Amino acid sequence: MRGWWWMAAALLPWMACGPAQAQAWDVDRLMQQLAGIPDGQVSYTERKYSALLSNPVVSSGVLAFHRPDSVEKEMRTPKKERYAIAGDEVVVTRNGGERRFALSSQPALAALAASLRGVLLGDQALLRRYFKVELQGDERAWRLMLEPLDASVARYVTRVSVTGSAGRLQSIDTEEASGDHSLLQVQ
Amino acid sequence: MAPRPGSRSAFAHPAARYGVALACLCALAVGAWKSLRIETDFGAFLPRSSTLEHRLLISQLREGVVSRLMLIALDGADEQRLAQSSRDLVERLNRAPDFDYAGNGSPERFLEQGEVLMRNRYALSPAVTPDRFTPSALRGALEEQLAQLASPMGMLARRVMARDPTGEFLAVLRELDSGGGPGLRQGVWFSADGRRAFILAQTRAAGFDSAGQAQAMETVRGLAAQAAPGVTLSLTGPGVFAAEARRLIERDARLLSLCSGGFILALMVFAYRSPLAVLVIALPVAFGLLLGMLLVQAVFGSVHALTVAFAATLLGEAVDYPNYLLLNAAHGEPLRAAALRIGRTLALAVLTTVASALALALSGFQGLAQLGVLTMSGILAAGLATRWLLPWLLRVAPAVPRHHVPSLTPTPMLKWASAAVLAALAAAAAWTAAAGSGPWEEDLAALSPVPPGLRELDARLRADMGAAEAGVFMASAGASAEAALVEAERIRPLLERWKADRRISGYDSPSSLLPARDTQMRRLAALPEPAALEAELRGALRGLPFRPDAFAPFVRDVAMARGQAPVSRASYDGTPFGAKLRAQVIELDGQWLAVTTLSGVADAAQLAQAAQREAGSASSLIDLKRISTRMVDGYRDDALRQTGLGALIILALLAAGLRSPARALRVAAPAAAGLAATAALLVLAGVKLSVFHLVALLLVLGVGLNYALFFERPPQDEEERRRSRLSLAVCALSTIATFGFMSLSSTPVLHALGATVALGALLCLAFSALWSPSALSIGHPWAA
Repeated sequence: MRGWWWMAAALLPWMACGPAQAQAWDVDRLMQQLAGIPDGQVSYTERKYSALLSNPVVSSGVLAFHRPDSVEKEMRTPKKERYAIAGDEVVVTRNGGERRFALSSQPALAALAASLRGVLLGDQALLRRYFKVELQGDERAWRLMLEPLDASVARYVTRVSVTGSAGRLQSIDTEEASGDHSLLQVQ
Repeated sequence: MAPRPGSRSAFAHPAARYGVALACLCALAVGAWKSLRIETDFGAFLPRSSTLEHRLLISQLREGVVSRLMLIALDGADEQRLAQSSRDLVERLNRAPDFDYAGNGSPERFLEQGEVLMRNRYALSPAVTPDRFTPSALRGALEEQLAQLASPMGMLARRVMARDPTGEFLAVLRELDSGGGPGLRQGVWFSADGRRAFILAQTRAAGFDSAGQAQAMETVRGLAAQAAPGVTLSLTGPGVFAAEARRLIERDARLLSLCSGGFILALMVFAYRSPLAVLVIALPVAFGLLLGMLLVQAVFGSVHALTVAFAATLLGEAVDYPNYLLLNAAHGEPLRAAALRIGRTLALAVLTTVASALALALSGFQGLAQLGVLTMSGILAAGLATRWLLPWLLRVAPAVPRHHVPSLTPTPMLKWASAAVLAALAAAAAWTAAAGSGPWEEDLAALSPVPPGLRELDARLRADMGAAEAGVFMASAGASAEAALVEAERIRPLLERWKADRRISGYDSPSSLLPARDTQMRRLAALPEPAALEAELRGALRGLPFRPDAFAPFVRDVAMARGQAPVSRASYDGTPFGAKLRAQVIELDGQWLAVTTLSGVADAAQLAQAAQREAGSASSLIDLKRISTRMVDGYRDDALRQTGLGALIILALLAAGLRSPARALRVAAPAAAGLAATAALLVLAGVKLSVFHLVALLLVLGVGLNYALFFERPPQDEEERRRSRLSLAVCALSTIATFGFMSLSSTPVLHALGATVALGALLCLAFSALWSPSALSIGHPWAA
């Protein structure tokens, strides 16, 4: 008899909240919220952790996003570097030179770009093309786990976990196959 | 049947004689079945050559990288699916025993196969100099690695960072990238429009090994069916050409032999209405074919599949002799007497045909030489069998049903008119040839038995892939492989400058994989001692956030490299690079050549001059197209000379055999006229004459002389004249039908041969009938 009580106690909050909420909290809802954020830019700080490093390398800059499909990552410290992704092309400006890559020529880079674009622009289809998508937590504190579908991507990137609160992005943690990971935090 | 007077032997009974003949034939057939080795290497149809340049061309065509490359295109699905199919198929091809390697441009694959490059990076990287390892240079390299780590692109560099902070592996990869090549989508080669994915595979079989290539194509199709169901597969490349050409020629030859064999059989049945006569006619042909094949096997060590395919041409000629004998004998006449009567004409017909095939037998193209030997021996055997075997077998001439063959009485007017027409034709042809680019085919590709459809597909795929045809390369010669590689290295600064000026789009030098020994030793000597490197590294790391031991693998690798032997060909054994080097560094007659392939050469002549100035005579620019054109010219000149020689021998034979130069000329004139008219008509029709047309014209000469000879022999009475007409009609019909069928072939070579000989036989027949004094008419207009 005692067991029943426990179960009822566990189920109660769920039964109470469920019908009360206007819409269920799921990936669709999250992506809708992210898609609803107007074009603009956010500042970020990124920490790279590596087995080669005694201290993480810290860099910072600005992430800018414009629909339908362009995202720019502009590093301002410790040095200036710019990665502009638009369409299938990424333009890398560093060391005073400019280089262009077709994203489709490098599946791992394409996946990385997709994680950034998918989250910043709220493009669920793009995310699902490259990753298995799993949502944890609740609307106030969610965590989106992205696992690469393709082996040629998984050779470099094992997982990307994105955290946020409602429509606000908080961090992107990219775990690499080498054991390194880099944590990008949005201010 | 009662024994005939004079037949004293055990072979008095005809069944015994046929039994013996058939037993001999069976023995020959079994011998042929057991001993014939059918060769399928298309290289047999390449000329033997005397100059180094030509031999180089042929070795490149035969064994070179280019000739073994198979281009595989996948289309008919969306990009993602095509990319996945490409990756799967490459994976499977690399495990298949028919292929040395397969690639789809994926950097992944290159990294996997590149372990040997990683291991030897300090000997291979052109960036390795003593300056590379000073504290300040190391500091710069480490700072760059730090920036890499922080960048999103750093993931790719991270794999080898601890072992290779100075980036030598990347430098080696850059060195090996010859430039050009198709773009990547989804990490694999794609056409610019993204509709077609490309794979390049190197077959283990040589490009001209058509059977091996066919096997490799089967393998690709089988693997693709598993890896990429529903995706459309197209294959091209020199090897595919060889295999396809062989398949088509064999199919055509089989079909056409069946058609012409069937037609000749029907013609014989119609003419003789007797199975025995048809069997007797078939015997000399069968003996000729089998003996000819066995002789070719004995002389050349093997019989080419194409020689077998062409054997049908022999059928058309060999069948003439027994026909001529049987149809010329009166009913009931002892066949031996008839054979004796026409013996001289028969012998001359056989010998002149043999002489006309002499030019073929002497040809530098081994395939043509085989055909020549087959024709000479086959015709000789068929002639001997007609002269001696048939009278022994048949004893008396069989009754031949009366067939009405229309007769023609050429008036002197008609004779002169035909001569005038011939002269006009010849003049018009000469005019056409002089006004145009000459009557000769200069392009080796046009001689290729590859159907035009496949060549178009190849051109389209190559254009799509952005791959230039590898027709121009630099050959660097030396007394040893090492010496040749030193020369290949010496030419690189020039090529580098030309590449920078965009006067070539890229080059692929074997010295990237195998730098000269001195160069390698210099690089390895530039590596610091472990203790010194460690000290410098410690200094360079000061103030950077790297762990102190982060680059221990680097120090270890450098120490190991210092003790390493220089990279040699053996270092690459078992890797795709080994297969590539085997084709790029070759030994030819005790001399070594390092072959640097070039693409997108704007001005070959200027590059040749620049190379001469810069590197002396050790390296020379080879333009395959130019050489092959010159070579075709050379062989045509040879063929013309040999044809001339054959014609002289024929005239001498005729003069000796007919015991009169005037009669010899009278026989030769219609055949020569037929030959000239045929050549003139071909030129007027816009056909470019090739070696194969020369071969065909030789066959025309043989056939034409036969007719002229048969026409020339003065008949005794109206009955014999009637029989002569019949025999000529049957012979001409069988020849024209055999080659007429062949002209229906879609294969350029077979079509050229068939059309030329059929036309030539018809014209020769016409000129013989018009100009010869006897056979068709009662009077002797020539004498009139």
